[in-house]
Amino acid sequence: MEDKKNCTGPLMIALQYNDLFDLDSISTSTDTDALPKGRAFTFMKAVQTVNERLVEQNKSDCLLFEVILISKECSEEIKTKIVESVKHYGLEIGKFFFCKKEELINTLQSNKVKLFLSTERDDVYEALHTGIPAALLYDQADDHVFNQLTVIFSGDVIGFSEDSLDGLSEFGFSETQIETIKTAKICMKEFAVLIGQMRRRFGQENSPLCTCVLTSWGSRNVCASALKTLREWGLDVDEAFCLAGAPCSPILAVVKPHILWDGGLLNMS
Amino acid sequence: MSEIKPKEAPAADKKEATTEEKDWAAAKAHFENLKSTKPRPPKPKYAVTIAVSSRSLFDMVAERKIFEEEALEKYVQHQQEHENEPLKPGPAFPFVKALITVNERLRNLYPDSEELFDIVLMTNNHAQVGVRLMNSINHYDLTIERFCMTGGQSPIEYLKAYMTNLYLSKDSKKVQEAIEEGIAAAIMFKPDVETQLSDTQLRVAFDGDAVLFSDESEIIVKQHGLDTFFEHEKQYENKPLAQGPLKCFLEALGKLQKKFYAKNERLNCPIRTFLVTARSAASSGARVLKTLRSWGLEIDEALFLAGAPKGPLLLKIRPHIFFDDQMFHIEGAKEMGTIAAHVPYGIGQKYNKGKLTEPEKQQK
Repeated sequence: MEDKKNCTGPLMIALQYNDLFDLDSISTSTDTDALPKGRAFTFMKAVQTVNERLVEQNKSDCLLFEVILISKECSEEIKTKIVESVKHYGLEIGKFFFCKKEELINTLQSNKVKLFLSTERDDVYEALHTGIPAALLYDQADDHVFNQLTVIFSGDVIGFSEDSLDGLSEFGFSETQIETIKTAKICMKEFAVLIGQMRRRFGQENSPLCTCVLTSWGSRNVCASALKTLREWGLDVDEAFCLAGAPCSPILAVVKPHILWDGGLLNMS
Repeated sequence: MSEIKPKEAPAADKKEATTEEKDWAAAKAHFENLKSTKPRPPKPKYAVTIAVSSRSLFDMVAERKIFEEEALEKYVQHQQEHENEPLKPGPAFPFVKALITVNERLRNLYPDSEELFDIVLMTNNHAQVGVRLMNSINHYDLTIERFCMTGGQSPIEYLKAYMTNLYLSKDSKKVQEAIEEGIAAAIMFKPDVETQLSDTQLRVAFDGDAVLFSDESEIIVKQHGLDTFFEHEKQYENKPLAQGPLKCFLEALGKLQKKFYAKNERLNCPIRTFLVTARSAASSGARVLKTLRSWGLEIDEALFLAGAPKGPLLLKIRPHIFFDDQMFHIEGAKEMGTIAAHVPYGIGQKYNKGKLTEPEKQQK
């Protein structure tokens, strides 16, 4: 019997094929059956672990992750190779979309994707700009950790007040960048609500899902505000880091997240 | 252990440097916008970073009991229920307050300098407990803006990531790991009696052997007795001792002291350092002073006890923290009201009150 309360899923995540497979090393690859593994591989394995654990607890749980694969501009040969490789590695990909570069945003919107994940900062930034929830697939995830999916939310995006965000314009941030940050907060909320529900299926210890807040710029009040807001949205995060301006790459190198919600903040160049 | 700050990680490629500058600029923006006089924390690479655990900063004895006797879930729940009740001060609290006072004086003299104390709350606690910790910090209006709540993970890698110069905790295992990784660290002990401490001057007392210096001489005492020790120290008087785990912290304090001297504030310097050693001035003391001189370090007061108990003298000094490697001295200090911090380093760990507690292992 299906538990109606549980049916808020699936949590659809879109990946690009060039993150899942490493196309640059095709020529050096010895495996002719499948494309070489790419940066999103550990992410896929971690997602599958979470799904397995969710199903273990409740066979009819429908709030599971569903991953769809998007491919921009590729040859027929590569298209076939992609589908074959997915099968070869036993990856649970729900759907495949082969589209043109310009159609990416439409494809994401029409499929009600809850999260678009990419290692390409520009793609993430562009998607956020149009209101599509998007986050960075952190490309230095630990190759050996498959049993836990780690998600970081930006405490700055969630905890900064409107005034503080507007004040950023005096420090070299453009209007567009500031608007993107504000949009990101709205996008994060829906995702956080779902992740919160998922996280609550597990206890504090031994959870396959680890959630964190990283406040890169703000002080403790921003961090506290972010924690409370996330709690209101139904997500009790596990770890919190407040940096008040200290460099965040050393921390990221220790945490090694899979999903990094930075609202387009970290790529300001 | 040989630098004040660990060498900057080779992440200095252009793109990352620009990102870091942008992070810094945004943080500045945030602080400037806070229509208050809250000071902005310094850039970690120039600052003296002190990481304190939640149990060192606050008194969480009752909460700890819940954690140990009942499940983790119950503990987190308890903390959430009492979120708006500020915690009472813990053993490191006076030390942290003194650090903040020094920062105020430094900011007055050098408004643009990043050479300040940077305090980080480094805790194993779950982020939800963090809200109570932050509320407590707000209650006492402490200038602590950097946090790391690891939700159960070991803090060691984070200590390095936050560029920590000194780590204070009540957990001996973590402190030992930190020392092994080359980070100055000590286990905090709350004194049995409360003592009135200075609120204008940071006073730090150090033991000599196995704290500022290596344990090479202590090994001689333990293995060959005092007479051999005296002879040895006299013979090698002019050979500097090797460094101990807290040497770099003394060096960092010295660097900040010089900033006050440069502005003619020597007599009014808000940092004062003490050496409290069981060595005697007549014989083995000379080597210690010569070693400090060879390192270019000054210590304000050197007190040679020639084996007398440290407790009464510490009571006169009233330091905000006293570092020693031997539990015997820590207990003596604690009983008489001094905040003691145990440095679990060197041969002293294998002995209790002069007797070997574990069989000799093969010498390396």
